[in-house]
Amino acid sequence: MSIKDILTPFTAWKRVAKEPVTVRDPFNDRPGADRYRGFHKNDVDKCIGCGTCEAICENEAIDLVPFKDPVSGDSGLRPRVDYGRCCWCALCVDVCTTNSLSLSNEYKWIATDPEEFRFTPGIEEKAWDKNEKGWKKPEGNYEFYNLERVSMEHLHPEERNDSFIEMVKGFSKEQAILEADRCVECGICTATCPAHMGIPEYIKAIRNDDMEEGMRILYETNPLPEICGRICTHKCETVCSIGHKGDPLSIRWLKRYIADQIPEDKYKEILNTNNLEVNDKKVAIIGAGPSGLSAAHYLRLMGYQVTIFEQYEKAGGMMRYGIPEYRLPYDQIDKDINYILSLGVEIKYNTRIGKDITLDQLGKDFDAVFAGTGLHLGRGTGIEGSDNQHVYYSTDMLRKITSGEEIEVADSIVVIGGGNVAMDITRSLARLQMQKFDKVNIITTSLETEENMPADREEVVESREEGATVYPGWAPQSIEIKDGIPQGLHVVKCNSLFDETGRFNPQCEMDVKNYYPGHMIVQSIGQGIDISYISEEFKENIKFGPRGRVETDEYFQTGVKWFFMGGDIIQGPDVIHGIANGHKAAVGIDRYLRESDFPNN
Amino acid sequence: MQQIIQDIESRFTITDKETRRNDLCFLTVDKLQAISLVTYLRDYQGYASLTLLTAVDWIEEGNFQLTYLLNNPSTRTEIGVRTMIDRENATMESTHHLWENIQTYQRELKEMFGIDFPGSPRIDEDFILEGWDNIPPYRRDFDTKKYSEETYFPRPGRETNDPSTYMKSKLYPND
Repeated sequence: MSIKDILTPFTAWKRVAKEPVTVRDPFNDRPGADRYRGFHKNDVDKCIGCGTCEAICENEAIDLVPFKDPVSGDSGLRPRVDYGRCCWCALCVDVCTTNSLSLSNEYKWIATDPEEFRFTPGIEEKAWDKNEKGWKKPEGNYEFYNLERVSMEHLHPEERNDSFIEMVKGFSKEQAILEADRCVECGICTATCPAHMGIPEYIKAIRNDDMEEGMRILYETNPLPEICGRICTHKCETVCSIGHKGDPLSIRWLKRYIADQIPEDKYKEILNTNNLEVNDKKVAIIGAGPSGLSAAHYLRLMGYQVTIFEQYEKAGGMMRYGIPEYRLPYDQIDKDINYILSLGVEIKYNTRIGKDITLDQLGKDFDAVFAGTGLHLGRGTGIEGSDNQHVYYSTDMLRKITSGEEIEVADSIVVIGGGNVAMDITRSLARLQMQKFDKVNIITTSLETEENMPADREEVVESREEGATVYPGWAPQSIEIKDGIPQGLHVVKCNSLFDETGRFNPQCEMDVKNYYPGHMIVQSIGQGIDISYISEEFKENIKFGPRGRVETDEYFQTGVKWFFMGGDIIQGPDVIHGIANGHKAAVGIDRYLRESDFPNN
Repeated sequence: MQQIIQDIESRFTITDKETRRNDLCFLTVDKLQAISLVTYLRDYQGYASLTLLTAVDWIEEGNFQLTYLLNNPSTRTEIGVRTMIDRENATMESTHHLWENIQTYQRELKEMFGIDFPGSPRIDEDFILEGWDNIPPYRRDFDTKKYSEETYFPRPGRETNDPSTYMKSKLYPND
C-alpha cells in the first residue's frame, strides 16, 4: 500500500465547506416521470387471461394464476408478476390484447419478505392502483399485430344478385399467411368452439405453410372442414382476444383455406386412412346431416361398420337442403362427404325410418343406432291468413330451391323472421326475383330489433346489399287476403321479446301499426322436431325434457341403451354443434359397445 | 437550422435527411464522412455538446446504425448524425479526441453490441456486464428468453397455467 492510497480518502475533506450538489428533500415527494415504467396495474374486469403478456415476457417473470371460474371468452386466469425477474421493459403492456395491463409510475416498494415482490396486479391491492401516471400503450402509434383483418374478396352485389354462384372468393396464400400472422395463439377460442377445434394449432400450420399438418388438425375434431370453413356460425371469432382492440381473426376463412388447398384424392394419404380396420360391430345412423356424418366418420375410424339411412336422394341434410348454394356450393359439400364415404361408410338413400324400416328393426339389425334427424318442420306464425296457399314455410322452400325444383316467385314478397334461415330464404328469393323480373321487391321483418336479430350481422348487411329491405322490430298480426291472393302483412311495433323471467313474451304497441305489401308470404320463425319415426311405444322408454326435447346423457345416449341422439334435435341448431355431438356420440357408442362398466351398461 | 443544413449539404454528401422538429434534424452520411461531419458541426457550427451516441441493430440489412446526437447550446437545436456500419467485425473510429465523455458510450456499445472503437480508453474493460460469456445482449440474435431459462433457476412456488388447457380442465374435462 502506497502513501497515496492512505491519503487519497482525505481529499474528500476539501469539499467539506462546499454546498452539496445533491440534497435530501424531506418535504417533497419525488414521483417518477409521467410515463415512467414502474409497478404493474391490471384492470382485472377488462383482462381475459389470454396470457399474451406471459408469452412475450423475455424474462419469464409472468405466471397465469386462477382468479375466477373460466367462462366463454375469459380463461379466468390473471397474470402474476415476479419482480425478481421483471426488467420493466413493458412489452407485456404493449402486447396486451385488451389494454387492461399498464405500469404505474411508482418505483418505490419496501418490504422485508422477498415473497411479497411476487404479486397479482389488480387483485392484491397496492398503493399505486389508482395512480393515473405511468406507462400505457400509446394509442395508434404501433401494434405488435395487425388490428385489421385481411379483407376477404366478395363478389359485388351486382355480380351476385341474380345468380347462385359462391360469393366469397377465399384467401390466397399470401392473404392467409398474413391473416394467420395476427393470431397470438392464446387458445381462448378453443373452449367456445362447440367441437373444441385446435384453432391456434391449425392457424400455426398456415403460418408454417404446412397444409397437410393443418388438415390433420382439422380432422381431429371436425370431418366437415370445407363446409364449416364456409358456413360455420364461428362463435370462436366472437371471443377472439384480438377482437377486443381490433378485428377478430377470420378463423372460419382460414379453416376454409386449408381445406381448399388439399385435393380430394390426397385426403386418405394425408390423414393416413388408407387401411382402416373393420370389426364385427355394426352401427346405424339415421340422417346424413352434420351430426350423422360426424358420428359415421369417427365410428368408422374406430373400426365399426357404419350404415347411414337418409330420407332424401342426397346426403348433407340441412347443409344441402337448407343452405343456399351461393354460401355453400354443392361440390364442396360433396368433397367432404365423399371422403367420409370413401372410408367405407355405406349410405342408403331415399330410406325413411318409420316408413321403409322401423326403428325397432334397426335396433335388431345393428349393435347401436345414432339419430341426427335435425329440425326439418317449418314453424308457423298461426296468424290470420297464414293458412293461405301462397303463405309458405322457409324450410320447404329452401329444400325445393336447393334440390332444383321450380317454385312460386311473386313480384312482391314478405319474409317473416330474423334468423340466418330467414336471410337465406330472403336472399335466395331475391336472386330468383332478379332472374324473373329483373328487380328485387322483398321485405323481411323480424320481431327482434336490429341489434338483437339472431342472424349473423353480415347476412343482414348482404341481404340489404342485394336489394332486400329489412325491417326489424315488428310483430306480425295478420295477412290480408283478397281473391285468394295475399296482399300484404299487417304488423305492430314490437319493443321487447322476453319478460323479466326470461320467458318469451313479446311486448307490442298495438297502436303503432305498419303494413308491408306482398303477394307471397314466407314464414321463417324457427323449425320443429320431427321424430315421428319413433313409435309411441318406443317413446315410453326415452325421457323428454320440458319443451318436448329428448333428454340424453353427456354421450347422447337415450333411455334406450342402444339408441343415441344428437345434433339440432338436442343442441344448437347449427352445424358445428351437430359435428361435436356426432363425435361425442361416437365415443359414447364405442364405449357402450366395448366397456362393460360404461355408466349405463 | 435550414441554413446550417444547406451549408452542410454544400460540403458533405448527405444520403438522407429527416427534419423531425424545428429544433431537431437527422442527417445520414457514409461511414467515411461521419467523423469529419461531427467534427465540422462541433468546431464550426456550434454543436459542441454531445448528447449521446447510440446504436440500432438492423439485423436484416446486416448493419448497425450509429447515431451521434449533438447539441448547440446557444441555438438550442440538435442534429443527429446517422451512419451505417457493417455488422460483421463492426468497427468505428473513436471520437474520444472530440468529447472525452464519449468513451463511456463507446464502452457501452462495445459491450452491448460488440462494436469496437479501437484506441478508445478502457474499451475492452467490462462496463456493466461483469463476467459476460455470451454474444453481446443488445444484438437482436441474442435470445433473451433462452438465456433467462438457462441462467436463472426457477423460483420455488411458481406455477402457471395455459389458458386453453385450463379452460378445458374446468369447462369440459371429459371431451
